[in-house]
Amino acid sequence: MIEVNSLTKQYAGRTAVDGLSFTVEAGQCVGLLGPNGAGKSTTMRILAGYLSPSSGTARVNGFDVFHDSIKARRSIGYMPENAPLYLDMRVNEYLHFRGALKGLRGRELRKRGIDVMEACGLTASRRKIIATLSKGFCQRVALADALISRPPLLILDEPSNGLDPLQMRHIRELLAELRPQQTILLSTHLLGEVEQSCDRVLLIHRGQVCADDTPRNLVRKLRAATDVKLELQGQGPFEEELAKISGVRKITERKADGEWRRFTLRVEARADIRAVIFEVALQRHWHIRELHRELPSLEDVFVELTEGK
Amino acid sequence: MRILITLFIKELRSLFFSPVAWVVLAMVMLINGFSFRAAVAMLESGPQASSIVALTFFSRWFWLSYFFVFPLLTMRLFAEERKLGTFETLFTAPVHSWQVVLAKFSATMFFYCLLWLPSLGNFHLFQFMTKGASEIPQGQIIGSYILLFFLGLFNIAAGCFASALTSNQIVAATLSFTISLLHFLLGVFVLYLGQQVPPQFASFVHYFATVEHIPSFTSGLLDTRPLVYYSSLMVVFLVLTHHVLEFRRWRL
Repeated sequence: MIEVNSLTKQYAGRTAVDGLSFTVEAGQCVGLLGPNGAGKSTTMRILAGYLSPSSGTARVNGFDVFHDSIKARRSIGYMPENAPLYLDMRVNEYLHFRGALKGLRGRELRKRGIDVMEACGLTASRRKIIATLSKGFCQRVALADALISRPPLLILDEPSNGLDPLQMRHIRELLAELRPQQTILLSTHLLGEVEQSCDRVLLIHRGQVCADDTPRNLVRKLRAATDVKLELQGQGPFEEELAKISGVRKITERKADGEWRRFTLRVEARADIRAVIFEVALQRHWHIRELHRELPSLEDVFVELTEGK
Repeated sequence: MRILITLFIKELRSLFFSPVAWVVLAMVMLINGFSFRAAVAMLESGPQASSIVALTFFSRWFWLSYFFVFPLLTMRLFAEERKLGTFETLFTAPVHSWQVVLAKFSATMFFYCLLWLPSLGNFHLFQFMTKGASEIPQGQIIGSYILLFFLGLFNIAAGCFASALTSNQIVAATLSFTISLLHFLLGVFVLYLGQQVPPQFASFVHYFATVEHIPSFTSGLLDTRPLVYYSSLMVVFLVLTHHVLEFRRWRL
């Protein structure tokens, strides 16, 4: 459905997307994950035909997004970041206008309008002027717009951005309903969203793919590193002894009060080395004041991974 | 074609649903009333060589509205879309840039034509009130309105171009106002400077001086040269607008 081949986009003096390549098969739901400024939005804008790539190619549904832009755009339902809408229109008028632009006519246009308003929970507010809608409802209108022409591919740029938890859940449920038959490319910086909605995750950093896996595998990999914190007192050398323990990747020391020394051990895999540390401490006659394992939050790991690359 | 119509209707809608259209319409009607009353006053003062039509279109009042109409009508066309971000939704729908340009241009042109209809009523009212004693020369009316139409083509296209350049409506209005004013003043300067300008330059400027076109058209003389001139300027500005919109898709 999507074939991206060494896609590069340079803005004045800055490379937003740097030789990006990936493919998305029909029926997949793929999440583009990355920190702000990683190149997610630029990639999506190129795919949606809004920007052109500086070099490289991208094909959507078999059509080149640059040379066959109109045909490619017909296969896409695109929802831009922050859901820009015409504020002076009513919800149903807006969807009617967008449907007509996308080639729907007459009875089909009316039917699709009603269907997507139903699907996105907009039926009760169909006569409301868009300027009076809350952010969550604006996102829904934009999503309804993306869905109206039944495009084979949905490109959603941060669909749950700025929503409260309940609204986020609505969007997730909606995506889950669409998922079986729909190809979806969505971008987000919320790991939880990717975990729940996507078959596959592309982690993008500085315009390049730095991980491509199922969310489960990725999360397992990401979660692999855990921190063990301990505070010790006694005869050194602490670092050398601790480094001997298998599975310890990195040791950092921070100041503690008095004679106490505080260490943070970055530990590989899901091995629990707390008991081992206790054994070592016993042998060396160290006093232990604190020993606990800290499971990093998803956000922490994400930051670590993207900063490390 | 259907997409063009959809876009055209949407543009008209947003024109009439915004107060801008109504305020401009009211102000233009007011100014037209003044210029018409000024022409009537001149007729009252004694026999005149010109008809009521020529007197109306020669009055300063009339050309006052000429300058503010174009910036006000065109400034929001593209600048507003850029500001709202709907530029992105619009151009990711399967529409060509030229369709958008043409739809916005023709919707504004449509409104511009509506703008002058009430002033046409003034002349008929005058004829009715004077019980046909005063002749309204049809040729002069047709000539004047044709000139107004072609001036609209050029100025609105220039306004589209100005609006496409920026996301700020004030900047767009300023640009469009400057283009209209400079073009108009070019002829006026030469007219006022008279002898100080080399005659070759004066006769050259004569071709695109709007002030030179007004007398011929208001006397019912249809000169095709200005018509071709204004239409080609329109084409130039619309093509420029199209390129400004396509610029983001250039491979740089």
